[in-house]
Amino acid sequence: MKRIWLDSYPQGVPAEIDARAYTSLNELLERSCSRFRDGTALSNMGVSVTYAELEGLSRAFAAYLRKVLGLRKGERVAIVLPNLLQYPVALFGALRAGMTVVNVNPLYTASELRHQLADSGAAAIVVLENFARTVQEALPDTAIRFVLTTQVGDLFPPPRRWLVNFAVKYAKRMVPRWFIPGAVQFREALARGAGQSLDDPGLGRGDIAFLQYTGGTTGVAKGAILTHGNMVANVEQVAAWAAATLKEGREIVITALPLYHVFALTANLLVFVKLGGENVLVTNPRDIGGFVAELGKTRFTAMTGVNTLFNALLNAPGFEAVAAASRGTLKLAVAGGMAVQRSVAERWRNATGVPLVEGYGLTEASPNVCANRFDAGEFTGKLGLPLPSTEVAILGDDGREVALGEIGEIGVRGPQVMRGYWNAPEETAKAFTADGWLKTGDMGRIDERGYVEFSDRKKDVVVVSGFKAYPTEIEDVAMLHPGVKDAGAVGVPDERSGEVVALFVVRKDPALTAEALLAHCAKHLTGYKQPRRIEFREQLPKTPIGKILRRVLKEEASRLRG
Amino acid sequence: MAEYPEHLVRAHRLIDGRTVTVRPIRPEDFAPVREFLNELSGESKYMRFQKWVHAPSDQLIHFLTDVDYDRHLALVCTARSGDRDEIVGEARYVADSQGRTCELGIVVADAWHKSGVAGILMEALIHAARERGLARMEGLVLSSNAEMLRFVRALGFETEPAPEDRTLMRISKVLQDSSAPQAR
Repeated sequence: MKRIWLDSYPQGVPAEIDARAYTSLNELLERSCSRFRDGTALSNMGVSVTYAELEGLSRAFAAYLRKVLGLRKGERVAIVLPNLLQYPVALFGALRAGMTVVNVNPLYTASELRHQLADSGAAAIVVLENFARTVQEALPDTAIRFVLTTQVGDLFPPPRRWLVNFAVKYAKRMVPRWFIPGAVQFREALARGAGQSLDDPGLGRGDIAFLQYTGGTTGVAKGAILTHGNMVANVEQVAAWAAATLKEGREIVITALPLYHVFALTANLLVFVKLGGENVLVTNPRDIGGFVAELGKTRFTAMTGVNTLFNALLNAPGFEAVAAASRGTLKLAVAGGMAVQRSVAERWRNATGVPLVEGYGLTEASPNVCANRFDAGEFTGKLGLPLPSTEVAILGDDGREVALGEIGEIGVRGPQVMRGYWNAPEETAKAFTADGWLKTGDMGRIDERGYVEFSDRKKDVVVVSGFKAYPTEIEDVAMLHPGVKDAGAVGVPDERSGEVVALFVVRKDPALTAEALLAHCAKHLTGYKQPRRIEFREQLPKTPIGKILRRVLKEEASRLRG
Repeated sequence: MAEYPEHLVRAHRLIDGRTVTVRPIRPEDFAPVREFLNELSGESKYMRFQKWVHAPSDQLIHFLTDVDYDRHLALVCTARSGDRDEIVGEARYVADSQGRTCELGIVVADAWHKSGVAGILMEALIHAARERGLARMEGLVLSSNAEMLRFVRALGFETEPAPEDRTLMRISKVLQDSSAPQAR
């Protein structure tokens, strides 16, 4: 199809980006570190790190991995951290050492973590002490040889470091007891690496930067293989889209979405490092009072989030004043990961004076595919226009493109599209059409101006605040409980999270309670996957030959809530 | 219950030379069917039941194996493995109470995909449904199951998105020229 969306591009945005701008993310980082040496790269809880410091810290960590631990190019390093200064240090350190980064949700349960570590074959893991207990439980059956632990305040200057670390460990008791023989402290690793020289691992665009895990319909998470070339391309695509709005060396972005999620990883960390901007790392945005106070102290110029987060801010006491104060400074607010509600977009615009711009993407595309115009006056309710060097097609069931305006599956081609899934050739084959389109599992259409619209999901998936939960995985966990005979999970609309999981259960043990089953689910599933509601039934609705009727369950679940 | 439809038993030779037998299921197939289901990949089970089936329950296997050969007919495809026959695929229909239309379901062992077993089973199932006087065969297929959709289209099924649920496609095939049910 002709790329009709190009006619709707804002002036100055090129049709193509230079996907060869950098040979790797390392080059991107290193160039920014030398160009913006004294500029602030990161800040967290009031502590700042300059580009020169980020260069030194990540170099020390890289040298430690390479020289002290003897890890080889291409080995995997798992990072289990919330948004702290240590995250970019560990991430860039691992990349500069030539390793592949496996980003892990720190709230994962031991079984979820074990799968990801075993599947990726990670050799080393960096974990915040608060989650070390989970790592300890997950370690058996994995190939992890080195465990590095860090405390919240590790990169804060003393006495702040001691105070914060003491408070987290002893006053707030946020660190469950753990014991991992041979674990090394992150600070010690940095100290030992600092004395070592670092050789250039000689990476190219084809080398793997990330294994980014995403769920699957049959219950196990798969690692999307994202190369340095994929990531560099996506950074360039977003930067080209933002060129008229964001200025080099002058921007401050609020990074409240977790960096282990590919959206914040690319759109915040990598794009703003390229621009020489400052990433304000928000460690716990769920503490909405603390988050608003933090925003009040920062002259931020950009922010990303999901609908749930923007909505929570708009409802938070004190945000009105912060929003009013940001007028004239704030230039850009981008929402991705889940559908944006019109009401939230409108309230945001009224409060801050800038539109809430919706973007669209998926892990398999590094992740950005479409964005609305940053100069859009109105909320479009659409996924946006395909980014430069990105092709979007609407595919029929035969994998061929349908006529303009018709609904079909959204397909994506471009330099940001993953190479495939790690160790899963069959899943990889199914993810692409014969013509090389990545099948997104989302249904939609392209309008006459080239805007992509979402209509429905083709895959059976529940999107909770931008995180994908697959019913099969939840059913699998539920059926591990000895008191459960059958289980069916569905997504139901939710004001706060967009969607939440509801679980219908047929009991084997008539004494089984919803509380007991919820506790069981909490042991095996991270927060967003856990059912918000459990309903017991004598049987699940099925077709005559025994296929589950999820639509009937969805309707029932919606009625129960209404 | 109708008698065991002996006339539906038939041996076939696959393109690669292996021979298989298609026959109506029997209650004695309980253990082999459990084994067959347990051996299926998560993906194949998900395609068949459209949900997670960890370990098939006795109740499910009973439903699958104890059929009346009238409203509910199931055919299994078996292959010789050592000194015994193992199930490598199964297909079934369940007719509605008026005996006009039926819903179909089919699943083939992962190692036997693209062997021709699915085609043989479907052909036998359609033949049996015609003989039974059913006017239409219908089913629900996951929209993401492109392979199955291609397969049934080649067998003359119409496919369309299920209006109430875009994760599903409705498939259907007219079996008789006249839609009038035959008296039985």
